[in-house]
Amino acid sequence: MNIPEAFRSALRSLFSNKIRTFLTMLGVIIGVFAVVALVSLVEGIENYIVDRFNAIGSNLIIVAPGNAGFAQDPAISFTKKTLEEKHVDLLRKELGGLVPGVTPSIRLIKKASYRAETHPAIITAANWEAADLFSVDIVEGRFYTKAEVINKDYVVLLAPAVKEDLFGDADALGKKVKIGSKQFTVIGLTGNESGQSNERAFMPYTTAQEVFDVDSITNILTKAKSPDTIDQVATEIEHILVQELDPNDFTVISQSDILASIGDILDVLSIVLVAIAGISLVVGGIGIMNIMLVTVNERIREIGLRKALGATRIDIAGQFFIESVLISLIGGLFGLLVSWFLTLGIRSVLRAEITPWAIALSLGFSFLVGAVFGTYPAVKAAKKDPIEALRHE
Amino acid sequence: MSKGEAFDMDSNSANSTSTPVLEGIGLTKVYDMGEVKIRALKGVDIQILPGDFTTIVGKSGSGKSTLMHIMGLLDTPTEGQVVLHGKDTTQYSSAELARVRNKEIGFVFQSFNLLARTSTLDNVILPLKYSNTPKAQWEKKATDVLKRVGLGDRLQNKSNELSGGQKQRVAIARALVNDPAIILADEPTGNLDSKTGESIEQLLIDLNKEGKTIIIVTHDEDLARITPKKVTLHDGLIVS
Repeated sequence: MNIPEAFRSALRSLFSNKIRTFLTMLGVIIGVFAVVALVSLVEGIENYIVDRFNAIGSNLIIVAPGNAGFAQDPAISFTKKTLEEKHVDLLRKELGGLVPGVTPSIRLIKKASYRAETHPAIITAANWEAADLFSVDIVEGRFYTKAEVINKDYVVLLAPAVKEDLFGDADALGKKVKIGSKQFTVIGLTGNESGQSNERAFMPYTTAQEVFDVDSITNILTKAKSPDTIDQVATEIEHILVQELDPNDFTVISQSDILASIGDILDVLSIVLVAIAGISLVVGGIGIMNIMLVTVNERIREIGLRKALGATRIDIAGQFFIESVLISLIGGLFGLLVSWFLTLGIRSVLRAEITPWAIALSLGFSFLVGAVFGTYPAVKAAKKDPIEALRHE
Repeated sequence: MSKGEAFDMDSNSANSTSTPVLEGIGLTKVYDMGEVKIRALKGVDIQILPGDFTTIVGKSGSGKSTLMHIMGLLDTPTEGQVVLHGKDTTQYSSAELARVRNKEIGFVFQSFNLLARTSTLDNVILPLKYSNTPKAQWEKKATDVLKRVGLGDRLQNKSNELSGGQKQRVAIARALVNDPAIILADEPTGNLDSKTGESIEQLLIDLNKEGKTIIIVTHDEDLARITPKKVTLHDGLIVS
């Protein structure tokens, strides 16, 4: 078979009936578009999550109470109360220079009010090292000091949304905000931080324990100095805490664990979505087969003629097979193009990406669809008896 | 074809001692239509010598087209064999048959069978695509044969822009382009007016003079009368 010639002949035939060719392609275009767009969307969601986690500080290590892996019920970390201050002290002592600091963390949601304005705030209570551990961006004022933590002072830093609702444009520094039953002095304001809630109110954990009457702590936070030492620090923390706690009473979670779990979930989601979108590709393939069968029937005299002039079965089959594969592949390329435009469109919202494997997968699938659904019409054309084909009206 | 008409059957004596270029031996063809079996050929022996100009005549249904298709290796006989250049083609694979149709036999059809919306040149190039002729020679070969049939100035015309006579000339050029020894023409003038038909017949006669072996299935009694060799089929048998 003269392959370049078969390609030319197939292209000529596709161009001679542009509307039909386009409509036949449409199934594959939509199928590939659906596959690629969904994959890139999931990719975008994953990027978004990773970005937000990175904004928090990617080296963060969390000790949560209970045997609460990321995939388990997160409520356990709020209800189990096994972590205490002495564990924080123990970790600080044992980890030493391995970490920049260790802080207990208590999180509660409480109403904050100033004069007539009230706003629910996420109380983020920790020690003086939290400014660094949480990478808190202080735009005005200061973070609370070690002394204020020890003295259980009523001081608070407000995140933008809380400040905005309570004070509007007015100056908030030095003002007294009522949280729970106590008046807190605003000593600082934090900036807009991507990946973080703007509803937070930071205060010493000692103050929070007293004011809100909690004696346990939600979790203990620390940070590895570099991504390379995360695993080392996490293992070290486990060794240290085992001295005091039952292994089932605490869990050490690093961000890489969380991200890995999210990645796993999104991978499954991705596969499910691709499988669903893949159905439209199969439907597109059936469309191609249908049209190719019509084409074979329409060109039956031409097939007879070509055979009379010396075309072999392989020549004839190859011609129709290539035509079908070309429809599908070109459709696949168009589908890719459309999804590329979509990705550009949603870039401002989501860092969606067309990954190389999505391109390979969709083009591979469009080839396969064209090949699988083109084979039967091609074989049917090749088997035509030249005499019957020439007699066909 | 009425009985009793006199034909000169001996004018081909010049070739009578050569080896047949194409030979049909005991050809039968039965079309199995389920309950009915149609016997289109009932044992036909035919010899075509190199340089022959043979007309096959007969009423419709006499089996002449079937014979033509079998002799052209477009169809296979139910029994019997077709011998081409001394070789029995019975055991040829479909690829070998395709090669023979491409290289050894040129077909001319009643309804021309040109590719629509395709230029004269590309129509003539078509058989070259299935041969092992290098692509670089395609255009030259096609142009040469188109000039030979008098269409040197119509190379780029689309087939639908041509008159019936021109179309048949393109079809003859297409049959000639691979330089086959044998030209098989099935009612080549059947769709043409008599004047145009005559010019096509003259072209075929000229080609025969140049050495091509020509077999024509025809209704044209005038043509049959002047051809050196005529085969009359009746009801699946050669009657004269």
